[in-house]
Parts: sequence; structure tokens; C-alpha cells
Amino acid sequence: MISVTPKNLSAHNVKLDLNNLSPEQVALEIKNLDLYYGNKQALQNISMSIPKGQVTAFIGPSGCGKSTLLRCINRMNDLVDSCKITGQIKLNGENIFHRHTDVAALRRKVGMVFQRPNPFPKSIYENVVYGLRITGENNRRVLDEAVETSLRSAALWNEVKDRLHESALGLSGGQQQRLVIARAIAIEPEVLLLDEPTSALDPISTLTIEELINDLKQQFTVVIVTHNMQQAARVSDQTAFMYMGDLIEYSDTNTLFTTPRQKKTEDYITGRYG
Amino acid sequence: MAIASKSANARKVKNSLAKWIISLGGISVLFTLVLIFMYLLYVIKPIFESVKVTPDTQFAIAESEQVLATGVDELKEVAYTITAQGMINFYQLVDGGRYQAGDKILSQQLVADGEKLTQVVDVGQEQKLLLDSGGHIQLVVPSFSASFDTGERLIKPSVHYPLGRAYLPIDESNMPLSKLGFAMDDEKAIFVGFSHDQRLIKTTLFAEDDFSYDSAYQVQYQVVDYAVNAVDDILLTPDLAMAFIRHSDQVAVFSLDEDAELKATIIPQLEQNSSSQSRLTSMALLSGGSSLLLGDDRGNVSQWFEVATDKGRAFKEIRRFKASDHEPVVAIYTEQYRKSFYTQTPSGEIGLFYTTSAADLWRGTLHQGKAQAFAIAPRSDALILYSEKKLATFTVDNEHPEVTWQALWQEVWYEGYPEPDFIWQSTSGTDDFEAKFSLVPISFGTIKAAMYAMMFAVPIALTAAIYTAYFMTPGLRRKVKPTIELMEALPTVILGFLAGLWLAPIIEVYLPAIVLLLVFIPLSVFTTALAWHKLPRNYKARIPETWAPIILIPAIAIAAYAAFTLSPVLELHLFAGDVRQFITNDLGIDFDQRNALVVGIAMGFAVIPTIFSMAEDAIFSVPKHLTSGSLALGATQWQTLVKVVLLTASPGIFSAVMMGLGRAVGETMIVLMATGNTPILDWSIFQGMRTLAANIAVEMPESEVGSSHYRILFLAAFVLFVFTFVFNTLAEFVRQRLREKYSSL
Repeated sequence: MISVTPKNLSAHNVKLDLNNLSPEQVALEIKNLDLYYGNKQALQNISMSIPKGQVTAFIGPSGCGKSTLLRCINRMNDLVDSCKITGQIKLNGENIFHRHTDVAALRRKVGMVFQRPNPFPKSIYENVVYGLRITGENNRRVLDEAVETSLRSAALWNEVKDRLHESALGLSGGQQQRLVIARAIAIEPEVLLLDEPTSALDPISTLTIEELINDLKQQFTVVIVTHNMQQAARVSDQTAFMYMGDLIEYSDTNTLFTTPRQKKTEDYITGRYG
Repeated sequence: MAIASKSANARKVKNSLAKWIISLGGISVLFTLVLIFMYLLYVIKPIFESVKVTPDTQFAIAESEQVLATGVDELKEVAYTITAQGMINFYQLVDGGRYQAGDKILSQQLVADGEKLTQVVDVGQEQKLLLDSGGHIQLVVPSFSASFDTGERLIKPSVHYPLGRAYLPIDESNMPLSKLGFAMDDEKAIFVGFSHDQRLIKTTLFAEDDFSYDSAYQVQYQVVDYAVNAVDDILLTPDLAMAFIRHSDQVAVFSLDEDAELKATIIPQLEQNSSSQSRLTSMALLSGGSSLLLGDDRGNVSQWFEVATDKGRAFKEIRRFKASDHEPVVAIYTEQYRKSFYTQTPSGEIGLFYTTSAADLWRGTLHQGKAQAFAIAPRSDALILYSEKKLATFTVDNEHPEVTWQALWQEVWYEGYPEPDFIWQSTSGTDDFEAKFSLVPISFGTIKAAMYAMMFAVPIALTAAIYTAYFMTPGLRRKVKPTIELMEALPTVILGFLAGLWLAPIIEVYLPAIVLLLVFIPLSVFTTALAWHKLPRNYKARIPETWAPIILIPAIAIAAYAAFTLSPVLELHLFAGDVRQFITNDLGIDFDQRNALVVGIAMGFAVIPTIFSMAEDAIFSVPKHLTSGSLALGATQWQTLVKVVLLTASPGIFSAVMMGLGRAVGETMIVLMATGNTPILDWSIFQGMRTLAANIAVEMPESEVGSSHYRILFLAAFVLFVFTFVFNTLAEFVRQRLREKYSSL
């Protein structure tokens, strides 16, 4: 039996009704999403609304489809040849799977941080401005400003401000992950997807990142995939529990962890499987 | 417990055995490499060693007469002197048989009673032309034969007379001569002399049959129309073409044909200082007879030969040697088969030089005062000197005078060439040929061949590697990559054979097609890609994505067919029916059938698998999370490729290219068969080249073991070794450095 104590409950007085959000409150709306890898169905009829300016966590046992769902949001699944998707994900009311969607533009709006820190083999500075440079931004002043803002937002500025032009590969794992977050937020996305961002890090780095996530939601809608239930409880406002490609339960974090409505959810959070 | 410890022991033994075997393997590889390196150096070393002259034997001679000439047999066992009294005396040089060193073996009178010898002219290696005080000549050959009568080898000297024993008068009016020059071949013998009544005369003996076996002849007398008071030297070229007459600081050059007319006058620019002008003091003909050496009284020797100029052929000073710091050069002695010469000064200072390599090989003093007689041993490995009633021999250690750093790597002015140049021409039909050992043209050829190969291979191999690693579906990649790598196993002799005998003629005939292909193939690829992109989805679906690139094959085939069909049409309308003619005549570019284009394609084909395989590995091993990271930031596939993938793979790509270059530099069979092997310095794509590797392969079988040529080929091998070693080391170094840099990815 795992004891779970959500510590951020007090920070949110307003409890959202996830089934009846007003259009302004919705960041992402997922409707009847099915996903197949070849003949195998990996997601089944997922429908959910992800509220703006909040942290939403996807939890569930390995292979439940939580990462797959996350990767649908910025269409990273396009890179998988045999992947086929039906249904809709709406960002600002527009379906991202539309034929004319500019995928590159979508990904600039929906940033993503991966499980393993993946800084490019370039300097810290060049890592942060990468997203700006590929859009053709070469104004030194704009870039310098973006570097400072993003690194401050990622709580990394003080550690690296004196060695911005050194290789990013010299940073520690936790610093690299924050650098990757800084790189993602430098292009000012609307949504930030975090795919198990701390699973490759030590406990102290994990703590730093978790605190960072709490700060980030002031600016961005954060969607995080984690297999660490304590982490979900600590950082998220809403939690979705997935199992075998189905969305089992989706509610505010406190409710989900204290009074789950579904038997499967309860079994999972109490550690009967997973 | 017993069983456990037993198996642990066995494991330990196996472990250490494996360790030793593996270490032994590794060390023996290194050892072999070092051994090859050492052996190359061992063979090369002698060519850079300096000359050594060491005293050998020396003994006093009783005679009081003046010695005019001396000589020695091939094995340096018997020496002879020819005295002014007309005697030839043979002396034993080494103890052996009945004789002790210094014994006189044979003595023979060469002149008629009452006459004295005034001049001995060296003719070729062995013959001596004797001029007596009455103006008569006698040709003699001191010969040596080995006999084994007593069970021991004994050198028996004798004297032969190729023109008969009779003394011949040279002047029609029987006037004594003060100077005489002579040269002969099988058909003619020409004498040019200066008589006591100051006539320059030319006498020709025409063989009735052939001098080599019949001494019968007819005589023709001639007086050369040239007024001069005194003559210092007369020299005739061995090919009977020219005579050089030195008198009062100039040299008159006469042709030796029927007219015997004055061809040129050489007036050297002699050094002049405030007090006096320097004078010419000696003259000699270099081996081969095309270079003239002039010594002056300030210790300089200048080399002259005929050079083609705007106004026809003219004698020109080519280079200068400093034989002595302040003494005159009173005598110059030239070697028979090499371009070496010795100089002598009144005080006995001797210098040894080599003209082609402009090398001052040796300078020193072997005895006091000028030697009365000086001779170079037949094998050029010893000197024999007569001075102050002593006959002395010296061993000369001078195996490779023609090789110096300058001769190998700098421009050299070779005999008969209009200007200094880089030439590789190691052998020819004649003995007196001036070997040209510049490594520049063949090193250049190596680089040129490698560059053209890289120009062909790098774009294809790298784009193929990028496509295969980054864009191709895994299924197709699994088939394509091993197929291309299999190309590497193709024997290069087959590629060379195809390039030389099949590709070269095709390129020659369809040159416009080759140029068209450069345009048509990319064009066909782009149009096919565009068409594929625009094709409705349901048609696309019929071809599995894995096989989609296959549709390019017919597209390229059609492009090639079109290019070859259009080629004759283009040739007819644009190049007046023959491109080769057009290039040679209208553009003034030389065209070889086996040229850099053929080599570039054939050798490019050979190095593509090397570059492709390594570059593909490098690109494919760029971590997927880096590509995803870039794509997730909104970068397109192309931006990700350029800014992340290629950047990260750059060390691997660089080392792939360097490995390809290393292979192209060392490649032998293709260049041997497809370059034409002409050692020229020309970047033109339509010209051939000769590479270091091909040069070694071509010339090694015909080079004499231990000769300069042989050692220079080893030097070429060493240079090649250095080339490939540098490229491969650089590649490996960069790879290691960058692997370190990106190891935390």
C-alpha cells in the first residue's frame, strides 16, 4: 500500500469540472481517438479535455498507451511508418490531424521533453536557440534575450550563465534535462509535453524538475507522462489513468488518488499491479 | 569443492592462454608493420649516404720517365702506366699467384724507336689513342684476361691494336701535331688535330667493312677553315657529331659532317674582378657527349649543353660547381657511364661532382701536387693516381650520386631540355642516358588520380549514405547496405580491366553522352520524385513504400539511353562530327584515351563502398532521441538532417572520406590499367597520369637489385606508405577525438 499525500492541493482553490469546461479553459480536446500500430490497436476511443494553465498527468502501467497518447499531441507518431490514427485532437479548436496542418508549426506550439536528456552536441547557447534559428531568427539580441529568459524559466541560468558557449554535453543529467526544457520553452509553445522527464535522473534532480514543473504551469499547459505515482500526485492538477489503451479514469488528482471511482484505478494506485 | 576448484583452474588456464594468444597476435601485427617500415628505410638509406674515398694500395715505381696515362682492370688487380718513352708497364696491385703487390708483370714498347709520345687520348672505357712526336697515331687497348692454368685465378695483361700495329700519319703533309681529338664508331674514325704549322686538320677513316672485326679503311684528309694560333683542347663527341676546340677562353664548336663548318662559339661569362679576368683552364665532355664542362682558374666548373631556343639550338650554361676556392681547375675527368666528374687543381685538391643532381659529392686532397696521371676505374668504384713516382689506388664509395633531395623533389635542368622541369624517366635504351628521378610527377599523379576518384565517389557515396541511413525504410536498408558493401569485394583488377578496355573507349566515343549524363541523371531523379509526389494516393498505395525508390531505376536507364542516343547528334551539330578532334584542335587540349575521367569513374567506383559503408554507419548511429528532439522543436526533416544529424555524424563522415582517400592513394591495379601511366604534371581531366603505386608495379620487375633506380622505387613505396599512413592516421585521430566528444550522447 502506497501512501499518497498530494501536497499541491491548497494551491488550487478552484476545482474544475473536467466534463464541462468552457472553450476558453480548454487547451486540448481529444475526441474519439483510436490508434493502430499495424493491426494492433494501441489506443481505444480516447476522449478527454486538457485544461489550460494546469498540469495534467497520464499514469498507468507500462504499455498502457500513455506515452503513445502524449506523442499524438505533437504528432511524433508520424515518424512511425505503420501508425494509423482516427479521431481528433483539437488545439485551439483546430484538428491537428487535418490534411493541411503544418506539422512543424504544430510542434512549435506543442513542445516536448523526452525521457532521456537529449541536448544536441552544440554549446548550451546554441541548444537553447535551436528552435529559434530553424525559424530563421538570427538577431543576436533576440537570441540572447531568449537564452536568458528560457534558462531562467528552466531554473538553469545561475548554473550556466558563465559557460553558455561550452558544450552542453558537459552538463549533468539533471542540468541537461532542464536545458532541454529551456530549449523547448524558448520557442514559447502553448503546450509542453513531458514524457517521463525524470525517469533517467537522480532524486535531487527529480525534485528540481518537479519544482520547475510547478512554476511552468504559470505560462504553459503541461502534460506529463509518469510511471511514478507520487510524482503525479505531487505535480499534477489532473490525472488520467490509462490501462491497455483505454482511458479508465480522468479527474482532478486529489480525487483520483483518494477516492477513485474505478476498481482498476484503485488496484493500480494501491499497487496491486503495474 | 574439488570439482569447483578444478573447473576454476581450467578457466584460469583458458583465460590466460587466450590473453597470450590475443596479445601475441596484436604485437605481431605491430611488429610486422615496423618491420616493413624498417626494411623500406634499410633499402633507401644508401642513396642518402655521403661519398667516401679511402686509400687502397700504394707503391713506388722505379722508372724515372714521365707517366702520361694510367689505368686499372675491372677487378682492380692489375694497373698499367703509359710513359712518354712509349712504354706500357703493367703492375700487380694485390698479392696473388707468382706476383707480389708492386711487381711489374709486363712491359711493352708502343712506339717506334726514336719516337716519343706526346699525348694520350682516352677513347671510351678502354681504348687509348697515342700520339707520337712525329704526328702519328696508334690505337691501343690494354686488356686483361683471367686464366686458371695454375689452378689459381691469374690476371694476364696484354695489348690489342684495333686499327693495326702500324703507325698512321694523321696529317696529309706529315706534320707533327700539338693537339689531337678522336672519336670512332664501327664505320668511321675521326681525328681532329692542330698541327705545328697552325692548321686545324680533320682526318676521317672510313671502314671498308666494319671496324669491329676488320681494320681495313680509306682515308680522307681535310683542313678546317679556322684561323687560330694555338689550341688548348680538342674534344669529339662519341656520336661523331661535333668537335669542341678550346682556345683563348672560348670554345669553337664544329660539326663533323662533310663540311666541318663552325656551328657555334661558346664564350663563357667568366668572373671578372678588379685586377684580372679569370681564364678557362680545362674542358671535358660529360658521359654521353652532350654536356661540355669548362673549368676556370677561379675554381669553377660550368656545365653547358645545347638548348632549343627561339633562334634554334644554342649552347647555354646550365649550372656551376665550385671545385676549389681559389685554385684553377687544371683537369676534369669524367666517368664513362654516369654524369659524375672529378676535378683537379695544381696543389692536388680533388673534387667529385654529379651534374644532374647538382651534387658536390666529395672534396679533398689525396696526395701532394697535381697527379701526373689520373684514371677512374672501369666500374667507377676506384681511382688510380700516379704522382711523385708512386702509383696509388683509392676506393670510391659512390653508389648513388644521382639521388639528392633536390633531384627528387625540385626542378632539374636535364640535358637537352629547354628549361628545368620535373621529369620521371628512369630508364632508356642507352647506357649514357641521364636518368630522371623526380618523384614530383608521380606523387602528383597519385594525388590527381585520388582527387578525381574522390570527386566522383564522395558526392555519390555520401548522398547514398544519407539516404540509406536517414530516409530509407528499414526493410530496404537491410538489403541495400550489404549489397553496396559487397561491391568492395570486387577485385580491382576487374575494375581496372573494365575501365581500361571497356570504359575508356566508350568515353572516348560518347564523350558528349558522359557530359549529358551529369545533367540527365539528376534531372530524371528530380522529375521522378516530383511525379511520385504528385501521384494520387491510391496509385502510390499499389507500390509498397519499401520498394518506391526502385522506380528510379527505369528513370535513370531512360536518362542514360537518351544521353547516349543524343550523343552522336550533338557531336554532329556542335562539335563538327568529332569531339576528340574538337577538343584537340579547337580547344587545344590534349586528349588521352586513358585519362583522369576514366580513372576517376573506375577508382571512384572502387572507393564508393568504403566511404558509403563508414558514412552510413556514422549517420545511422546518430541517436534517435536527438532527431526526435530536433523534430519536436518544429524542425523539418531536412533541418534536422543538416543541423543535427550531419553535425553529429561529421567525425564519422570525415573519417569515411579520409579512408576512401587513403584507399584511392594506395590503389594500384585500376590506375595501372586505366591511366596510361604517363608521368606528366597536368591537372587536365583528359590527360593520364602515373601514380606511385603503378610506378612501382611497372618498374620494379625491370630494375636492377641494389641500383639507384631500385632504391628510388623503394623510396616511392616509402612515400606511398607515408601518404596512406597520414590519411589513415588523420582519419583515426579525428574519429577518436570526436568519439570522445560525443561519447556522452
